[in-house]
Amino acid sequence: MTGRSVLSAVFRFQSVFGLVLVFAAAIVFSPHHNGDLVFLDSGNLFNVVRAISEIGIIAVGMTLVILVGGIDLSVGSVVGLASVGVAELLTTNDWGLVPAVLLVLALGLAFGVLQGIASARFRIQAFIVTLAGMQIARGLARMWSGGEGVSITYGDRPGQAPVPFSLLGERTFGGVVPIPALIFVVVAALAVWLLRASAFSRHVYAIGGNEKAALLSGVPVNRVKVLVFGLCGLLAALAGIVHAGQLNFGGPNDGTGYELNAIAAVVIGGTSLSGGRGSVFGTVAGALLVGVLDNILQLNDIDSNVQLIVVGAVIVLAAGLQRLRPATA
Amino acid sequence: MSAITRRGAALGALALVSALTACGTTHENAPGGSAGGAPSTRACQGAGGKYTIGMSQANLAEPYRVRMDEDIRKAAAGVPQFTVNFSDAAQDNAKQVEQVNTFLTQGIDLLIISPNEATPLTAVVKKAYDQGVPVLVLDRKVDGEGYTSFIGADNVDIGRQAGRFFADKLLPGGGKVVELKGLAGSTPAKERSDGFDQGIAGHGITVVGTADADWLRDKGQQQADALLKAHPDAQALFSANDPMAEGARIAAQNAGRADLPITGIDGLPVPEGGIKAVEAGRLSATFVYPTGGAEAVASAKKLLVDCQQVEKQQTLPTRLVTRENAAQVYAELNRS
Repeated sequence: MTGRSVLSAVFRFQSVFGLVLVFAAAIVFSPHHNGDLVFLDSGNLFNVVRAISEIGIIAVGMTLVILVGGIDLSVGSVVGLASVGVAELLTTNDWGLVPAVLLVLALGLAFGVLQGIASARFRIQAFIVTLAGMQIARGLARMWSGGEGVSITYGDRPGQAPVPFSLLGERTFGGVVPIPALIFVVVAALAVWLLRASAFSRHVYAIGGNEKAALLSGVPVNRVKVLVFGLCGLLAALAGIVHAGQLNFGGPNDGTGYELNAIAAVVIGGTSLSGGRGSVFGTVAGALLVGVLDNILQLNDIDSNVQLIVVGAVIVLAAGLQRLRPATA
Repeated sequence: MSAITRRGAALGALALVSALTACGTTHENAPGGSAGGAPSTRACQGAGGKYTIGMSQANLAEPYRVRMDEDIRKAAAGVPQFTVNFSDAAQDNAKQVEQVNTFLTQGIDLLIISPNEATPLTAVVKKAYDQGVPVLVLDRKVDGEGYTSFIGADNVDIGRQAGRFFADKLLPGGGKVVELKGLAGSTPAKERSDGFDQGIAGHGITVVGTADADWLRDKGQQQADALLKAHPDAQALFSANDPMAEGARIAAQNAGRADLPITGIDGLPVPEGGIKAVEAGRLSATFVYPTGGAEAVASAKKLLVDCQQVEKQQTLPTRLVTRENAAQVYAELNRS
């Protein structure tokens, strides 16, 4: 292995190395409790993984969108819309679990597809389209819920949600893995597979690299873009469903700012905001890195304002590293 | 070559992710048990003990909540046994659940929480309570009974008092008012508005226009501007908090209605707060919605240091602030 390829690997997986670094630092700086490292406590690690799963699911979709040179600002509002939607369908409308979840996922997919069409076919900048989508989804969420949060209780009586949905809120499934984290891992694995084993992958990277060239070489640019925005909307809706299940609550204002957290995970993960370069793996590591960082800062009782500054600095650092990256990497 | 390194790093990442989740499996034998070691310090040890309190704040974007944290900090400084750790959930329910879990991992001796919303925080608050950590819920409630004590004022009641003030003092002969509400979808916004409607009911007062101004001063100005244009016959304005009321005052001045009576709610005893605004004549009245910070620390001291019980429900008194008593209330609230 040449020095150059090692360097290139470091850049490609900067977030994985960053994560290892932050993880090690977290162990070093972990407070002790009865002789044990608090950070490595199973409950604590579960908490971290569970906490980042929603942002992680969104960030996977965001990675795809950013890879084709787009951006999706609507995902946070779609989380709110989906959480309200699934809560209303399960309680007020007494729907079964499967149809309710499927409808909300379809809604997210449709929302994303519409944004994709507006952006790809009608050539409106993705930033603008999804900025509008962000407002529209938030408005729909507030309308659907009548402007109030929707509490979810479980049982068989009318107005109660099916008991299996409450599994999302349980800390662990069978005492092992929090279900939201499991969903995140599955979503990430599917996305990694999608970006490895298919023509779709080549198309995505080709469009992000040079859209004109991709078009000229026969890539169905518009169709791929619409699909990518659709997937992003679908995953945001999935995150919203997970969100409602974790909290037993559909909040019309929930998910505010999640789009920025997801973008942060993508950027820290080494995906270029100008498209064409990056990976879902990087994003997963980026999301974990932010989660571990947040956790260790709070464990040490660092002021919340300082936490914001530290995470901000990490984002700049990650983006800065990308500028240094050799062109061939 | 590049493909190999890529795969290697990928495997490393996967191993790390699974390590993160797998780590949990080995120790997680007793769910609901000791997430952060034995609860050795949780019982009352009296004056000789050392106690760590976790304070989980819903957000620090509102001055009211900054003041709540300050009140707690100030009161806790008077109890040498106490250390207080603060967290800020930035209006995010999921984040607040995570932060409370982190506190539990740290092995706090008592939890003070001002929940962002009731239902989403109920489970984690109950978890703390079931682990034997006393929980003081501040200002906003949780569902059920899984907490030690609720300390707070009543939003419906404070809205009702504001309504009565309009009925008795501002518009005794009835009239038309416009209303600025808080963030749509938030419980206090609805409760204050409902209370106001109850307070003015049967007094010939009609609300001719309302707008959501998200608790914010700039939004309050903008929305009041529109309301006053749409309803030039409005004789007074009710705002669900002081910052929006201050914004409305600017809008009223710009509309040539500098004398329009405006009332707020919160009554923060800080220089930029509502009490000073009443004293200066910008607001006709405000209603003090106490933060409960000092009361929470007093309850914590009772529980941990004095080994006593506290009431399950501690309703804090609200009070009307007008130009006559503003200076006096301001001084009183800053004395303790």
